[in-house]
Amino acid sequence: MNRSYYWLILALSVPAFIWLVPTIWMVSLSFQPNDVLARTTSSTALGLIPIPFTPENYIALFRFGQVPMWFLNSLIVSVGMTVAVLAVSTTAGYALARLDFPLKGPVIVLCLMGLMVPEQAVFIPLYTMFADWGWHNSHHALILPRVAVPIGVFLMMQFFKAIPKDIEEAARIDGVGWLQIFWYVMLPLARPAMMTLAILTFLYAWNDYLWPLVSAQQREFFTITLGLASIQSNFAQAEGLGRVMASGVVASLPVVVLFLIFQRYVVRAMTAGGTKG
Amino acid sequence: MPRHHIARPALTQRQAAAILLLPFLTVYAVFLVYPFFKGIWISLHDWNLMAVAFNPDAKTFVGLQNYERVMWGRNITWGAWSSPGLQMLGLIGLGAGFLLYRTGRAGKVTALAILIASLLLFVLPGFHPGEGGRWYDRRFWPTVGNTIVFVGLAVPGVTITAMLLAAALDGETRAKAVLRTLFFLSQVLSVTVVTLIWQIMFSPRQGLIANLTELFGGSPIVWLTAEGFAMAAIVIATIWWSLGIAMILFLAGIQDISKDLYEAGALDNATGAKAFWYITLPNLKRTITVVVVLQIILHFQVFGQAHLMTSGGPNDSTQVLVRYIYQTAFRDSELGRASAMAVFLFVIMGGFSILQFVLGREKDQ
Repeated sequence: MNRSYYWLILALSVPAFIWLVPTIWMVSLSFQPNDVLARTTSSTALGLIPIPFTPENYIALFRFGQVPMWFLNSLIVSVGMTVAVLAVSTTAGYALARLDFPLKGPVIVLCLMGLMVPEQAVFIPLYTMFADWGWHNSHHALILPRVAVPIGVFLMMQFFKAIPKDIEEAARIDGVGWLQIFWYVMLPLARPAMMTLAILTFLYAWNDYLWPLVSAQQREFFTITLGLASIQSNFAQAEGLGRVMASGVVASLPVVVLFLIFQRYVVRAMTAGGTKG
Repeated sequence: MPRHHIARPALTQRQAAAILLLPFLTVYAVFLVYPFFKGIWISLHDWNLMAVAFNPDAKTFVGLQNYERVMWGRNITWGAWSSPGLQMLGLIGLGAGFLLYRTGRAGKVTALAILIASLLLFVLPGFHPGEGGRWYDRRFWPTVGNTIVFVGLAVPGVTITAMLLAAALDGETRAKAVLRTLFFLSQVLSVTVVTLIWQIMFSPRQGLIANLTELFGGSPIVWLTAEGFAMAAIVIATIWWSLGIAMILFLAGIQDISKDLYEAGALDNATGAKAFWYITLPNLKRTITVVVVLQIILHFQVFGQAHLMTSGGPNDSTQVLVRYIYQTAFRDSELGRASAMAVFLFVIMGGFSILQFVLGREKDQ
């Protein structure tokens, strides 16, 4: 490594730090007492270092208020959506990639057209449908609309297409049925693609805002993303800045941890989701 | 020896396909295809959310009247010079598109996209109310305009920053990997966390930015409630939030460029900024197009930032299309008009999606 390399890294560390400042600030404020924050947010080093320090915001968060419940709702919705999307996407993706059946071409085109429909173009009719059925304010109402988005089917279809034919043919000669091939041969091979799709879906579910805002009107069914929106408009009066920031940290924790552990998959998932859907 | 069980007849390929496709196709039909057509159906009705909820017959078929009430007005005329700035830009775009195509600097699809966009930019702002006329909905086109301004600021902001960062951070070293992680991190946060952070960052009393300006003896700017600054504020927050994907796409594009080119360039003394300008940039053309189209689709649907940080204000200056649809539907209960706007949004998004699809196909060939 030469000198210019170290200069480059040094020069880039400055914008990287600036990029990180808003996040650091949120974490730092969440560890400061509310009565101090009411006076000033820049106690130590512009507020970037949490001195005076207190964990009281986090303790209050889990003792009172609805953040734990919202967190649980988010978990249920995100896990439920991930499982449902994986189930319909792997099955349909396998059928479209590896099986022959009449009207296959038109079915693929029909599914492809669904990628063009943005959430905002269907959220009004979805609202009226779910209202007619009395489905609002439930977990499945938050889950189902996303399960219908064909992005996962296409990710899985592309993956299954790339698997060599002879693996399947060997199993066929041994008299193994199609469903067994799917379950015992294809699914184990598809683990990396399923992982990518799972992370894409989980991140989407955790961070989705518009549909929960429309569908969940009772606070008991808010997701943490929606709940955070509801408390940030009146943060100063109601609960104190520190506690709102602590809610923000708690709301971000799962996705940040997920990102740091599965960085490779997250990057792949977001680019796949971004470029294809 | 008698068989103890009768072998189940194996499923044919067709039956297997039907069983495997059924779950997805059912959900797809009920929760996407049907709502899509129902949305168009609603847009053809005078449909009040509350009234229809109590009495399903309280809607009346009005044909295309909602579209007229949203997009048209009384005594609308067209002039080639009624909005000189934008229309001039459209004309320049038309010229540039032809030139780029003729000189072979842009592919057929890119050139066509530029030409269509420029033509729209020339034609659409030309419509205006004539003598004694007015728009039926005064807020719709300004809202579309704000959305375009937002896209016009956020997309170049994200694209240029992401491209420069990707060029600087391409490489296998540990330090670069850490820096990439830091720049990508904000991308995984939810829109409500992003607005929470930036609302307080921009706050004139408690904000970090205000604290900094005061430290240097300046007086803090009232970012979120000052016209002109409010749009800048949500653009800054958006760039901070959505840089990651663009950076990753550029990194992938840069890795596709042959290393031989750089070695050959180094012989001609092209390193650093020179190498970026003469080797990286020309070879990233396709990636740039993909990133730009992707960002346009993404940012045209902006909602959370405007809804939570500025509430569309001040004076409607950050009111964007999706927020207007949301308010028309769920605050004013005018589902018919809101659906007409949603169809308008779909047409624009659909156009860009087709462009994105065609670009993706070009790459695969």
